[in-house]
Amino acid sequence: MEVKVLAFAQARDQLGFAERLVTCEPGESPRAVLARIAPELRLEAMRVAIDQEYQSWDVPLGGASEIALIPPVSGG
Amino acid sequence: MEKQILFTTEPIVIPALALPSREIGACVEFQGVVRETEQDRLLAGLQYEAYESMAVRQLERIFDELSAAHPCAAVTFIHRLGWVPVGEASLFVRVLAAHRGESLRFCAEAIDRMKVDVPIWKRVYERHRTA
Repeated sequence: MEVKVLAFAQARDQLGFAERLVTCEPGESPRAVLARIAPELRLEAMRVAIDQEYQSWDVPLGGASEIALIPPVSGG
Repeated sequence: MEKQILFTTEPIVIPALALPSREIGACVEFQGVVRETEQDRLLAGLQYEAYESMAVRQLERIFDELSAAHPCAAVTFIHRLGWVPVGEASLFVRVLAAHRGESLRFCAEAIDRMKVDVPIWKRVYERHRTA
């Protein structure tokens, strides 16, 4: 299956892209996907959202269509 | 409660006050304005971005949860994106309720929770290297 990986703010700077389609397995976690496509990225500095909900880095993707990398937020 | 959530790349235009009922006794408004200095640096402004669709979902959930604790009739939330120069508002929040206590608490807690969980980011641009 294909999952859209979205990167915002500092995550986009570090990855060098804002959006990329990645082929994934339903049993894979976001941590495993990122280890494959961006092994140098420090995941502890950011949160992950799957289909627009915060999740653990280790939860299986299931039928997800989107993973978003969420660096510390700073709205307001 | 009525919830109006808007992201805009234009300067924020404060909407005219529309009362959803004659039981509104409190209208609390907050504007966040870009300051000139941050940690001793002189700023030209801030650049904002958001994951808009997720931000709307998060804000709706936060407003629903807060409304259970502090019953309010309506909330208007406007956040500016893109370049915001010093002296202009990046955020406008209006909360309407029957009483001041609920509306003040709702407004304060909504902003606190936005700063923790809502995917909006700002970048600082110092004055000598204006974007």
